[in-house]
Amino acid sequence: MSNHQILNSAEHGELRIHTHADAAFGDAAMAALVVPTEFRSVQGEYPIVFKRDAASDRFSALALFGFENGENLFLADGEWGTDYRPLSMAIQPFLVGRPASGQGEGQVHIDMDHPRISSTGEGTRVFDEFGKPTPFLERIAELLGALHQGYELSADFFAALDRHELLEPFTLEVPLSDGSRNTLYGFHIIDEEKLRALDADALGDLHSEGHLMPIFMALASLSQFSGLIARKEARIAGG
Amino acid sequence: MSERIANLVIVGGGTAGWLAACVLAARRPELAITLVEAPDIPTIGVGEGSWPTLRETLRMIGIAEQEFLLACDASFKQGSRFDGWTTGAADDSYLHPFTPPPLGNMGQLLDAWREAAPGLDFAGAMTAQAAACAHGLAPRQRAMPDFAGAVNYGYHLDAGKFAALLRCHATNRLGVIHLSDRVVTVRGTPQRIESIELAERGMLEGDFFLDCSGSRAILIQNHCGSDWIDRSDVSPNNSALAVQVPVEPGSPIASQTIGTAHQAGWLWDIALPTRRGIGCVYASRFLDDDDAERILRQYIAEKVPGSDSLSLVPRKLSFPTGYRERFWQGNCLAVGQSAGFIEPLEASAIVMIELSVRALAENFPASFATLPIHAERFNALFTYRWERIVDFLKLHYALSQREEPYWLAQRDPARMPQRLANQLALWREQPPSPWDFPQVDEVFSAASQQYVLYGMGFPVPSPRPARETSDAMARLSEVRERARGIAAALPTNRAYFDALAQSPTATLQGELARS
Repeated sequence: MSNHQILNSAEHGELRIHTHADAAFGDAAMAALVVPTEFRSVQGEYPIVFKRDAASDRFSALALFGFENGENLFLADGEWGTDYRPLSMAIQPFLVGRPASGQGEGQVHIDMDHPRISSTGEGTRVFDEFGKPTPFLERIAELLGALHQGYELSADFFAALDRHELLEPFTLEVPLSDGSRNTLYGFHIIDEEKLRALDADALGDLHSEGHLMPIFMALASLSQFSGLIARKEARIAGG
Repeated sequence: MSERIANLVIVGGGTAGWLAACVLAARRPELAITLVEAPDIPTIGVGEGSWPTLRETLRMIGIAEQEFLLACDASFKQGSRFDGWTTGAADDSYLHPFTPPPLGNMGQLLDAWREAAPGLDFAGAMTAQAAACAHGLAPRQRAMPDFAGAVNYGYHLDAGKFAALLRCHATNRLGVIHLSDRVVTVRGTPQRIESIELAERGMLEGDFFLDCSGSRAILIQNHCGSDWIDRSDVSPNNSALAVQVPVEPGSPIASQTIGTAHQAGWLWDIALPTRRGIGCVYASRFLDDDDAERILRQYIAEKVPGSDSLSLVPRKLSFPTGYRERFWQGNCLAVGQSAGFIEPLEASAIVMIELSVRALAENFPASFATLPIHAERFNALFTYRWERIVDFLKLHYALSQREEPYWLAQRDPARMPQRLANQLALWREQPPSPWDFPQVDEVFSAASQQYVLYGMGFPVPSPRPARETSDAMARLSEVRERARGIAAALPTNRAYFDALAQSPTATLQGELARS
């Protein structure tokens, strides 16, 4: 359950947010949504895969942190062991909201039931004593803006992938040193054969629409699987 | 007796004795260390403020920060605030924080301060720590690694509990032998103590002796004959009335020691999570005990909400002011109050213990032959250090404009140390700099002098024409930005310590204490 409110200094003047990484704050996630505009940063740390939502029949992109539900191999001892956290994780517990009319500028909303909401007096303030946004909230607002913009551009990106049939189903079996086997299925990745086979017109279209760069970034991100498997092995070895 | 110095005997417990035992046991594991503590001598229980140096000392001797905070009922100290020292007016207040001003030329920073933020006090312009202190914030978040902070900090602590923690650590984890016994006689020559005679156990031999017996100075004075150099001519305060005031749950915990000037001295106010240690320091030549008690009770009634001032019984302390002619003589070194004491202003007691023990640990004599060389070096260095403390404490009085007889006497030019008088003349032309304090580990750096000087309204040297201030302006604007970030990210001290008390470590420590 969530309890979304429009962020405002009158109601949230004293609010503090836990900002460090911790499973208790919702960081024990196997994957997070990512938007094409951040693929360049994401591919330096995580594999990017695609998933079709059965209900809407729409694709979305995910950064993978682990091989099973609740497993985040980047999270250890209260630290998220990489420099870049995907926008959709970094903005928690905030969200971009729409006014009730459905029109107009995006608003900053907050999920007041999120575990990052502090009730102990520890954590980072959102508003200062005068009701002005703190540097933390200014940063969050930037991230929300970037996420929102990326999300707006996503529909075109996935439509283009669909149009050129650039996604192929992907199953990964990972045999581990303790004899166990981890399987990822239900995901898609960029179909490299089809990408290579595109003609100049198709490539020109993808390029002019700004889709070519994220496509290659997603392809390149697959090399991060070896790092993810190494983290899994290290965790097994460490008990 | 072997020619190698292998057996160390420490006479006296308390903060000095046990801290020395822990540091030497950790740094010099080859030494056999025995500490003799008289069973019936209470710890004096002042010296409840530390410097940031104690963080490194605790880490080095192997005590975790959480364990220390919980066991000593400790809180964080980010500096000292001085109320009423300049004029005594209601808004007369300045901060001496532990975080230094930005790096760079202080002359340029002063020009930039005057140009860009004339309404902001010096500490507020120079460090984001002023914002943390103003809001009662902790210097760190609990998620940070031990002893790390967003700003520089030391501790306020319960000295009795601190000595108990150190004793437990020294005997249980560091192999120090603890004898609860009284020293009856000391045998040997003034240059070479052979042994001490204990009331219960009899003779105890040693190669090297630390005198941590406080003002009794059993070894360094009574046996070795090293005299006390009295500095009450410069520093007239010689008495204190101390009291501990319980605080209400949930009440704010101040981020700094608060020193409030009164007609013939000053009051300290040190906030721990469960109580405030408050004391009235005075010069008995200018104030009698009854008036001191009246000032103390009036302060408590005004400053501690919900306190029952009448039920409190203050404890009277008298203290000598000065230091040893020779701290180290033969095979004996004085550490703690036996070595020196200048009034509690700026809390120099614990840091002088740390500095003394570090100097000994890093230069521990391997043989009896080099003892005189070590002693001469140590004595020169620590005479310099005690004199710099005398100077720096005097600076707090020298710049006052208060008119009471005590304050006028404090400013008497005949009682001003010559070096300080010279420096004040120089500082009218150039700000304090490392040129004024060239030694290794100066007790009070140029930054400390700057905070007091410009906190008390000392004139800023006139700007040089054509001096470039744009770099300094950028530094000060970074301080402002950092202050905003810090004010948002740090919890209040109260929130920090309430959460710490609820943490699994606190529960575990409580169980261990009961078992």
